[in-house]
Amino acid sequence: MPNRRLAVFAAAAFLTSAVGGATTFLRAADTTVTISQGVDPVTMDPLKRTITPTTNVHYQIFDTLVRHDRDGKMVPWVATSWRRAAPTVWEFKLRHDVKFWNGDPLTSADVKFSVEKIKDPAEGSEQGPRVATVDRIETPDPYTIRYITTKPTAMIAGYPWEVFIVDSKYWKEHGDDIGHSSNYEAEHPMGSGPFIFKSWRKDEQLVLDANPNSWHGRPAVDHVIFKPIPEAAARVAALRTGETDLITNVPAQYQLQLAGGRNTELKSARSVRVLFFAFNTLKAGPQQNKLVRQALNYALDVPAIIATVLGGRGYQVATPLPSNFVGYDPQIPFYKHDLAKAKALLAQAGYPDGKGLDMVINAPIGRYNKDKEVAEAVAGQLSQTGGHFTTKIQEWTTYVNLVSQKGLAPAYELGWGNDSYDADNTLTSLFTSDARLSTYANPQLDKMVVDARYETDPKQRQAIYDKALAIIHEEAPWLFLFEYEDLYASSKRLVWEARGDELIYCDEMKLQ
Amino acid sequence: MTAFLVRRAVGAVWVVVGVAVTVFLILHLTGDPAAVMMPPDATTEQVAAFRHNQGFDRPLWVQFGSFAWSALRGDFGDSLRHGEPALGLALERAPASLELAFSALALAIVVAIPIGVLAALRRNSLLDFVARVFALIGQSAPVYWMGIMLILVFGVQLGWFPVSGIGGLSHLVLPTITLGLFTMAQLMRLTRSSMLDVLKSDFLRTARAKGVRPLALLWHHALRNAWLPIVTVIGTELVALFSQAIITETIFSWPGVARLAVQAIVDRDYPIVEVVVILAALAFVGVNMLIDIFYSLLDPRIRYS
Repeated sequence: MPNRRLAVFAAAAFLTSAVGGATTFLRAADTTVTISQGVDPVTMDPLKRTITPTTNVHYQIFDTLVRHDRDGKMVPWVATSWRRAAPTVWEFKLRHDVKFWNGDPLTSADVKFSVEKIKDPAEGSEQGPRVATVDRIETPDPYTIRYITTKPTAMIAGYPWEVFIVDSKYWKEHGDDIGHSSNYEAEHPMGSGPFIFKSWRKDEQLVLDANPNSWHGRPAVDHVIFKPIPEAAARVAALRTGETDLITNVPAQYQLQLAGGRNTELKSARSVRVLFFAFNTLKAGPQQNKLVRQALNYALDVPAIIATVLGGRGYQVATPLPSNFVGYDPQIPFYKHDLAKAKALLAQAGYPDGKGLDMVINAPIGRYNKDKEVAEAVAGQLSQTGGHFTTKIQEWTTYVNLVSQKGLAPAYELGWGNDSYDADNTLTSLFTSDARLSTYANPQLDKMVVDARYETDPKQRQAIYDKALAIIHEEAPWLFLFEYEDLYASSKRLVWEARGDELIYCDEMKLQ
Repeated sequence: MTAFLVRRAVGAVWVVVGVAVTVFLILHLTGDPAAVMMPPDATTEQVAAFRHNQGFDRPLWVQFGSFAWSALRGDFGDSLRHGEPALGLALERAPASLELAFSALALAIVVAIPIGVLAALRRNSLLDFVARVFALIGQSAPVYWMGIMLILVFGVQLGWFPVSGIGGLSHLVLPTITLGLFTMAQLMRLTRSSMLDVLKSDFLRTARAKGVRPLALLWHHALRNAWLPIVTVIGTELVALFSQAIITETIFSWPGVARLAVQAIVDRDYPIVEVVVILAALAFVGVNMLIDIFYSLLDPRIRYS
């Protein structure tokens, strides 16, 4: 008898705990769009960090001078027009009807304040590289702003599509002036963007309300909730159960399930991110021989890797640049898979049938879509040359430290994407001799990259890039792989198109 | 007892100091966060400026001295990523972690102890067999797999419970089961074996012979004597649940300290990692002291001097 009582007690306790609150599960209202990225934003101060999931929230709250359209073309936003007023002067004209949520007008003083805060070394802003070419700023009137550069630059100065404009009066009121910081804005943003910051429970949810007074018109969606879900399988499950409307970084293995879902659909965009293996030509080894580098490029069957590892979601590249970047040269052919040619080149380089060729293929895990799997496929394909190729996979934090010390050799995997839609960032950062991440040195190429940066005639500039890219293709300091196709998935009620630069603009969203 | 507690408290301080020194050295000797924190297109000069601003270019012992002096005053510095005080960031997430850990522990106790007792009373019965199989699965199934399976079955297929985030009681169900399962299985096995030992003892046979009623026999004589190892495991499991929560909080997007710590490790956000590890060490020594006190309450023969 006592045993039976205990059994009933135990069973009742279990059922109570398991079924307890099942009925309190509420779904969001219809005018709310819930977005789940992998991580929560780290701050509401838009002048410090460069992490995409964080800036994706900032883009709803703050305005920028310009935006890029889906094709990478710069379009007006707060700035109605821009021009090169003098060789070293970029001038922007601002709209007159932009107001912060508290009613303060957005003027050139706010733009100047925002850029100067980023440039202030005491701030330790990660965004410093964006405004590095801006030497000083002039504000001839409240709606005109001039970026003065030290030398004439081909690219518009100051990355005006990704520098957020803050309310200088509001920041100063809270003790946050140039040369002096407070933490107030990290949790209490004041923007002029299409959505108003409502609340933020960290790692849980961040709520935004439509800005009824937005100069761009009231957004079609009333509320936006950013709800981070770190685990990819859980993100997919949350979308399937209707807990969220849009998920980012969808692993390729879920694409069939989500594309054919009752309430889900797959969305994708050709990414600005290119995946490659760089050869560390600064360290001794077979990778210092151009013939070896060319041979290994011929040994790769990139379309097969895209088809099998990425489920077809990628685009082979012949050079480091995505096809929609200024400077891209469509005339340069891909390295076509040709094992016989690869073996012939290796023999010419002193490695007949790959004998004596022993290389480690370094790669991170979990940083890029299928990074480890791509590395394993590459090592497998390269082994067909007869050489010995092994992979060495490391966790990103350790890996990126080694990359920044130029310590990985002979080959290491890296992804590179930027939203400048211009060749300069990629070539400067990855191919010039003194760049922090470059493991290739070629004085001729260094000069071309610098010449192109300051060449203001677009035709002349393209001609320089054509030559530079031809050298890079011939020299093969990379194993050229592919541009990614970024995968998102959404509920069918959400009308939204994915972008290749990984940005999310909620004012472009509608519900059906 | 008081002298014992004072001695233990002094010992606990040394443990926490040791942990603080160890975590500081491990973090700082394995590279600084500049490579992770700065954008990839930052120049060498910009990275050097970041290191200088954050003080990472100072000698290690100077950095440690600065850290120790601030930590003694309760200031663990600002998070490199969030730009806010690290201690505040950890403490504001602590309630969510405590809620999950205590509910998992409560579920484990409520389910495991009655079933463990019943399995011991009905040794080799069908119930005992089922309990042992359940315990085996609970201890051998990886938390990660179990969490995803629960999400797929009870969240996606049946739609009974939400699969992510914090909210009402319904949000607590799946993470609680996921986190509590291992402890539940362990407690069940321990309760069963502990009870089996006690049930075979002479004093119980004597009590039965004296005509003590079965429920009183079970409660006052058997279970009371089986408690000691069970309480030990409950205490250590409570602390272990915090570490196991790393996976559970990540799978279920639970906004707790463990998830904050994981992201901080990925970002090499030193101040947060340091403060979380020190808080965990404090929790560990605190719980161990509580276990010692409980011992003396449960078993009058135990006296600390």
